[in-house]
Amino acid sequence: MNGPGIVWYLALAAFLFATGMVGVLIRRSPLIVLLSLELMLNGANLALISFARHAGNLDGQIFALAVMAVAAAEVVVGLGLIVAMARKKLTLDVDKLSILRG
Amino acid sequence: MTAAGWITLFAPLAGAFAITLAGTRIGRRTAGYIATASTMIAFVAAVVAFVVALGKSPDSRSQLSTLYTWIQAGSYHSGFSILVDQLSLLMMLIVTGVGSLIIAYSLGYMEGEDEERRYFAYMALFVFSMLLLVEGGNLILLLGGWGMVGLSSYLLIGFYHQRASAVAAAKKAFVMNAVGDSTMAIAFFLLIKYTGSLSFSALGQPAGNRWVLNIVALGLLGGAVAKSAQLPLHTWLPDAMEGPTPVSALIHAATMVTAGVYLIVRCNAAFQAAPHVQNLAAALGTVTLLMAGLIALVQVDIKRVIAYSTMSQIGYMFLGAGVGAYADAIFHLMMHAFFKATLFLAAGLLIHALGGEQDIRKMGGLRKLMPFTYLAFLAGGLALAGIPPFSGFFSKDPIIASALARGGWFGYTLWVAGLAGALLTGIYTFRLVFRVFLGEPSAFVREHLHTEHGEGPISMRWTVGVLAVLATIAGFIQFPPFWEPVSKWLEPVAPPLVVPTNAQEIGTLLIGVTMGATGILIAWLIYGSHRFRAPAASETLEQKFYFDELYDAIFYRPAVWVAKALRRGFEEPVVDGSIAEVVIGTRDAARWTARLQTGLLRTYVFAIAASLAVLLVVFVAVR
Amino acid sequence: MGNVIVWIVWVLAAFSCLGSGVAVVSFSNPFYSALALIGNLASLAVLYLLLSAEFVAAAQVLVYAGAVMVMFLFVIAYLGGRADAPWASGPSIQSVAAVGAAAALLVEVIVVIGLAAGGTLSSAAKVPSSFGSPAEIGRAFLTDHLLAFEITSVVLLVAAVGGVILGHHARAGTPHWGSDSR
Repeated sequence: MNGPGIVWYLALAAFLFATGMVGVLIRRSPLIVLLSLELMLNGANLALISFARHAGNLDGQIFALAVMAVAAAEVVVGLGLIVAMARKKLTLDVDKLSILRG
Repeated sequence: MTAAGWITLFAPLAGAFAITLAGTRIGRRTAGYIATASTMIAFVAAVVAFVVALGKSPDSRSQLSTLYTWIQAGSYHSGFSILVDQLSLLMMLIVTGVGSLIIAYSLGYMEGEDEERRYFAYMALFVFSMLLLVEGGNLILLLGGWGMVGLSSYLLIGFYHQRASAVAAAKKAFVMNAVGDSTMAIAFFLLIKYTGSLSFSALGQPAGNRWVLNIVALGLLGGAVAKSAQLPLHTWLPDAMEGPTPVSALIHAATMVTAGVYLIVRCNAAFQAAPHVQNLAAALGTVTLLMAGLIALVQVDIKRVIAYSTMSQIGYMFLGAGVGAYADAIFHLMMHAFFKATLFLAAGLLIHALGGEQDIRKMGGLRKLMPFTYLAFLAGGLALAGIPPFSGFFSKDPIIASALARGGWFGYTLWVAGLAGALLTGIYTFRLVFRVFLGEPSAFVREHLHTEHGEGPISMRWTVGVLAVLATIAGFIQFPPFWEPVSKWLEPVAPPLVVPTNAQEIGTLLIGVTMGATGILIAWLIYGSHRFRAPAASETLEQKFYFDELYDAIFYRPAVWVAKALRRGFEEPVVDGSIAEVVIGTRDAARWTARLQTGLLRTYVFAIAASLAVLLVVFVAVR
Repeated sequence: MGNVIVWIVWVLAAFSCLGSGVAVVSFSNPFYSALALIGNLASLAVLYLLLSAEFVAAAQVLVYAGAVMVMFLFVIAYLGGRADAPWASGPSIQSVAAVGAAAALLVEVIVVIGLAAGGTLSSAAKVPSSFGSPAEIGRAFLTDHLLAFEITSVVLLVAAVGGVILGHHARAGTPHWGSDSR
């Protein structure tokens, strides 16, 4: 394979994943949280594609496509929820949405 | 013969089961008929067994029949067996005969009661229990029957369970009987330890030192004293009159309270090995007969008078068994069953006709209004006072004569006491008769007496009639010293320790009759013709010699105090407290754990991320 | 020569990926975050091309960046892009712990990769030129992974239905769930 070895791709994927995780944990707006979630998923996708190339097996790419489809579905539902929350005049702040507090 | 014995035992049990299982599906009268029929079947079977036994020779009249081995524990084993011998046959006849008559009487007496079915089931259960007691082939089964008659007595005394006094009386009876049961248990433990078995034959070979023999006999005596309401465990019997009158007749006059006498006679070998205890039995019986006679002089409840009379007569039986006149005691037991049942059931006729009233001060002049009852009462009363030719005459005086035959200062004292008791018996019995029946009808009677349909239902009248006839003529079976078939019959099982000479017998007879007649005369002078005024009753007599108060102070109050102290000091802080601690602890743990549920998305995700980080390290390290 | 070009492309794409990733979590305006994510997706598509995953790269751009992100932008526009200032209140214990956890994860993964670099991850397999082509992907989907294919379709259907339901009552004008009645 030309260019960097697989290790570099994997390191990049890990970094993307970690960055996305920081976003999910720190940000308060649910929209940004969703975006960070997407970032994490993409990091995973990159790792999958890298391994597919490394092993010469298409399964990784298939998996990545499936992940993309599911991510799309999840975004639909998530955004639907956010819109519903906004319509109910709830503050879009994950710290304030704690009715399920035990 | 033993087949008939088994039928006698199980017929009433089958009756009780049938009534219980049928529940409300059968009518109330049907339940009564079932109970009566099952006891009559038992009676017929007992008669059959008796007739068969008559035909056998005296040595083969005692038959033990075992169904199966009931208990097997190491070297000890007991079978579920019945012993049909001369003694148990007599008891079976009395229990089933008088029992079936009284249950038939209940058909009329208990009519219209709310819970008749329960009553008849209990009565059948009682008859079964008493039969188990007298037919039991070993001491364990006797104890089984002993306990069950105690239970039946509790159930029947407390039959009117809405009445607090009835419930209290039932408890009192049961608790006092439990005291006796525990002494018997101690006796049984010793018997097992020293002889290895609880069969009746084991009693015949007493083993162990003097202490053991005495304690065994004492334990048995304790049980007998409790069951037969003798001093000092007597206070439950008057209270037991809270039960319906037929119950008082059957259980607390004719059969259950005589179980103590049966026990002593059955275990006479044990008592013979411990002569001091046997003397104690005679002494207790004598003191009881005098005390009860005195108390009966001042009682105003008709049933209580008859109850104290029962206590007194059983005192005579204990006196007889205590000096070794076993056959005389058993014969008196049989006659007593007849005339005491007659008295109770006749009193039941009175109570029924007067709408439940039992106070003799409100009664009077019932002779013309209830002549049949009057005659029955008279028959029973004359038998009780020992006037010939009524049955009591034949049975009571031989016991007193045996005391004389025993000799020594002890025997003479008992003899004098027995004769004094005869005097008291005459007085209190006829005080009752004259106050209730003679004179002009009182205001209460004129207002409340219902005899429109005759003096009572037919079932009540014919049974009282039969018993009254028996009370009159049954005595002729045995007339010491002239003919004594009963004593001969019982000799192989319970040979007498003393035999009075003819002179002693006849002398005692004459003096006894004189005493009884004098008692009647005194009663006539005071209550009949009102020539003399009754002396003022002393407070002690009215309070029944303060026994209830004594027991309350010695036993009841300390027990309650201990119970309360335990509750305060131990149960509340330790038992309840530890459970409360568990509750509080669980609640606090739950509250603390609930803090994990912050409801914030971020916390949860953070938890996932952190655990992920940790797990990753673990997985890598493991590989 | 080809190697050098590949390296250069890789470095450029990687840095833009990283930068846009950090930008996504940093901007306070969600609109800017979304745009940054689009950039991220584009860089990733380049990287996929370098990894012989042409179909996936195309799907990434068309579907992810083209459809999903556009939907994001629509919602952000609808909601008015409320600002959220993440760094305003200084480092709280939560943010420190979060960064710590993420950093820990990152370090662990790098360590693992490093450990395996000499061994399993040393040489990539040789792949034919048709690797990652639509024909190959299609063949794989319809033979080996047919079930995954079908289930994914069902998931998409469910999401579509869910989306309709979540957005439904605004159309009718009457809220269902209990808040006020008309």
